[in-house]
Amino acid sequence: MSQVKAAPAPRAGERAGVGDPARASSRRESMTALLFLAPSLLVFLAFVFYPLVRSLFLSVHANDIIGQPTRLVGLENYVAMLTGPEFRLVLWTTFWFAALTVVPSIAISLVLALLLSARVRGIRFFRTAFALPFAFSVATAAVVFSVLYNNVVGILNGLLFDLGLPGLNWLTDPGIALVSVAIATVWLQLGYDLLVLCAGLGAIPEDLYEAASLDGASGWRLARRITVPLLAPQLFFLIVVSTVQALQSFGQIYILTRGGPSNTTTTLVYSIYSRAFAFGSSDFGYASAEAVVLLVVVLVITAIQFGFLERRVFYQ
Amino acid sequence: MYSQQLHGQFQGSPVRLRAFGLIATFALVLSACSGGSGAAAAPSAGAPAANVLNGSGLVKISFWHAMNGTPDKALQALVDKFNAANQGKIQVTANYQGNYDDNLAKYKAAIQSKQTPSLIMMYDVGTRLMIDSGQTIPMQAFIDADKFDVSDLQPNILGYYSIGGKLYSMPFNTSMPILYYNKTAFAKAGLDPNTPPTTLSEIRADAEKLTVKDASGNVVQYGFGAAIYGWFMEQFTAVTNQEYCDNGNGRTAAAAKVLVNGPEQVQLMTWWAQMVKDGLAVNTGRITADGQNAFKSGRVAINIESTGVLGGYLQAAQGKFDIGTGFYPKIQASDAGGPIIGGASLWIDQANHSPQEQRAAWEFVKFLMQPENQTYWHTQTGYFPVSKGALNDPTDKAWVQKNPQFTTAITQLQQTKLDPATQGCLLGVMPQVRQNTELGMEKAILGQATPQAALDAAVAADQPLIDQYNQAKAGN
Amino acid sequence: MSGPLRAILVGAFGALPRAILYLVLAALVVGIVFPIYYMFAGSLMGPADINTFPPSLVPHGLHLQNYQTVFDIIPLGQQYLNSIIMASVITIAQLTTATLAAYAFAFLRVPRKRLWFGLFLSTMMVPWEAIIIPNYLTMAEAGLINTYLALTLPFLATGFGTFLLRQSFLTFPQDLRDAAFIDGCGHLRFLAQILVPLQRPALAALGVFAFLGAWSQYFWPLLVTQSPQMQTIQIGISQLKSEDTNDPGSVMAGVVLAILPTLALVVFGQRFVVRGLFAGAVK
Repeated sequence: MSQVKAAPAPRAGERAGVGDPARASSRRESMTALLFLAPSLLVFLAFVFYPLVRSLFLSVHANDIIGQPTRLVGLENYVAMLTGPEFRLVLWTTFWFAALTVVPSIAISLVLALLLSARVRGIRFFRTAFALPFAFSVATAAVVFSVLYNNVVGILNGLLFDLGLPGLNWLTDPGIALVSVAIATVWLQLGYDLLVLCAGLGAIPEDLYEAASLDGASGWRLARRITVPLLAPQLFFLIVVSTVQALQSFGQIYILTRGGPSNTTTTLVYSIYSRAFAFGSSDFGYASAEAVVLLVVVLVITAIQFGFLERRVFYQ
Repeated sequence: MYSQQLHGQFQGSPVRLRAFGLIATFALVLSACSGGSGAAAAPSAGAPAANVLNGSGLVKISFWHAMNGTPDKALQALVDKFNAANQGKIQVTANYQGNYDDNLAKYKAAIQSKQTPSLIMMYDVGTRLMIDSGQTIPMQAFIDADKFDVSDLQPNILGYYSIGGKLYSMPFNTSMPILYYNKTAFAKAGLDPNTPPTTLSEIRADAEKLTVKDASGNVVQYGFGAAIYGWFMEQFTAVTNQEYCDNGNGRTAAAAKVLVNGPEQVQLMTWWAQMVKDGLAVNTGRITADGQNAFKSGRVAINIESTGVLGGYLQAAQGKFDIGTGFYPKIQASDAGGPIIGGASLWIDQANHSPQEQRAAWEFVKFLMQPENQTYWHTQTGYFPVSKGALNDPTDKAWVQKNPQFTTAITQLQQTKLDPATQGCLLGVMPQVRQNTELGMEKAILGQATPQAALDAAVAADQPLIDQYNQAKAGN
Repeated sequence: MSGPLRAILVGAFGALPRAILYLVLAALVVGIVFPIYYMFAGSLMGPADINTFPPSLVPHGLHLQNYQTVFDIIPLGQQYLNSIIMASVITIAQLTTATLAAYAFAFLRVPRKRLWFGLFLSTMMVPWEAIIIPNYLTMAEAGLINTYLALTLPFLATGFGTFLLRQSFLTFPQDLRDAAFIDGCGHLRFLAQILVPLQRPALAALGVFAFLGAWSQYFWPLLVTQSPQMQTIQIGISQLKSEDTNDPGSVMAGVVLAILPTLALVVFGQRFVVRGLFAGAVK
């Protein structure tokens, strides 16, 4: 990164007007600018904006047996969705899943980050060990956990059995299946969360602590008054990113439970997949209505997080 | 930084909204225009005769299937044999497209892009949809044009894929459900290892002796275990000789209602839920692989599954325990029906395919139905041969002798009377209906609802799907 | 031991913070690392150890056959190649389009700049899953299902990447730029020969981010690929799990093969990854 600090000069791209040649050259510059934006914009037009509108379009139409839109049905799909009992469960599952993953993963990684900031011998080993889940993707982590969770021959139940305890139906008990999926997700997230928080912790200057301890502060007070507030930017970043990721979770649900048992792990995204593609169905109208709801939910939640949380973040 | 930028977004700008509106209008126009291709016209009656292949050079056709692992290798061997025998005339390229559900989704996408394969393997529950899609040409057209002799083919198997005597697709990988049991565990429990249970109450009686607990009270071996699989419900319904859906099981006219909440089905789920509650059966969930693993690992003594898994079972149990097979259980001893054949069949696509391609696909289908090829397919995979002649082939007989468990399936098929109930339900949304039924079964087994309520809920959930399908089919 | 932790721990626990620290860390490590241990151990177990009850914690003998079985069930090599191709194409494309767009936003006079900028921003707010159905239909109608194009086309541009780079470009000293222009340097030459070499950290950060993101995609490749030959490694591994009814050992072996590169990255390149992840993060 260049060492020279940018001078508070006129905004990049603007120069003092010099007359006609300048206007011609500035027209050329505008053309160049638009040309440089064009590739990105083309991709966005084809794969973001057009699909957005088409989602809306599909959501207000019925479809034929192949999935093509047929007649305009207005808000029928939305009404069916909002008045059906399944959708309420889907929404509840989605939010509950987000809470089950975001809160523990940030809490655990915060504690771990604090522990790992100790400068003791061998801490590098621990840092690497705890960062290992980062090597996994959603698919690979879910596959490993699906083998662990098997209720008949899985090692987790095997260990419980050795301890004389009854096994758990990790993925087939409607009461705990969502928690099992959440555990796998939290495990996966830990590596990334830790890396973010460790970097943040490293940025907190030592003298702050020395000054505070000189003033008599110690223990949890230090953590609460100094560490956590100064970590606030990273924590806020993680909360936003983790929440959005939780709301968009798909791979682990598909691999571990296929939305079951009894629909207790069917989140909004999985429901979209299920309606539109699973079991040979092609219910694109209803699924698109759910997709629109997903968009609204993500926008609203992110807006809330910004409005509510960001005010409390202190940027250095 | 990411967060800072997200923050920046919420300083709204009217200019931005206007631009978005422009793009939206443009996109709306585009999406209205890209309605995609409509369903193709109904297939023409005539099938291309053999001579269309004369002088047409090499005809290449694509074949989509859902076979992987051992069956895939066997299928590929058959394809290679066909290609070698038809050098310069026909070349078949077989491609594995994922499991049956994925296959159907991909096929629907292919219809939209007009890139369907010439020949596709579609599962049993996709039959009605394939007929309604208007993309295929019925096998009967070729049979009539060629005066093809179908007397060698098992009528009970052809029956599933026929309506009013007209065969729509050619069955290929056919399986039947049977009862598997651990003979070694039977002997240890003091039961006769050569007498499998035949009804639900007999299973329960045996399970009471077969469930073994260890010192701390944890179950080491369960008497019974099976995956919560909607297919099993269809089988039980057929065994009681009842129809799964109305209108002659969807064969006299398009089905309008699912009938899975009758008294015998409720009895079945009551039995199953009670078995799990009493600790005599384990609930391994809806994934069939988990149900199979439970039996293979010796944790479950009685299991119901398809003949297709026999090979895997024998391999897993080698040196551990002996496997016996029995007829698919009845709900009551007086039940007079029998199980439905399952698996998949082959469909020849007509829409957007030349007469040469259609004819080539038919030649390949005929090849697959020859007794010697059926024998090969059967002995390599354990799938049921469609050809009667295959069963009389010495290689086949030798295989059956080595795997006596398979005889059960043969006898079971031959003893089942063919009627609408045992032909199986034809329903456009059958895959989703199967899922809803599975959900109902699961609810009952988990004790989340009474069996009657759970099955009623499944039927209620099916109704809008069926109505929507019938409405869409009527061109609405 | 020094640092913030000492202050906290000494305050909270008094006398023996170091021993307690090691103890707690060790307990947590066991919990976190256990799935990884069992993945490796399971990949070496035969059916007698792993598909049995009760399953054992340690393999008895090395059942290396599991690794061979993986290749019998899925075309792992081809799938690795697919993942590499897909992720590389997406990364290079994103670097290119984002650099061009960021350059325009940072240095050029863009008519209605706030409008375009806002459009780029808005793409970040749209969750991919909300538009996955129309995008799937686009691919199906164009006959692009099961091709590299379907895997890569939608991701050739990035709003996030444009931001990241614009932020970084804005720190480039104005006077240096003016000097270059007076010397007769055109936009592209300036970009290629002066700007890019000096912006390597930001570009590397975006590159790492884009590559890892593309590498671990699941939902989209699941929809648009059909044959195992075209699938990415993420899909292939999950298919290994769902189709293999006999052999958790092979499944684990498959996962080991799939994550070896990223595992090596984490173990040996931890610092580099950290830097790549947060160039541009809150500072």
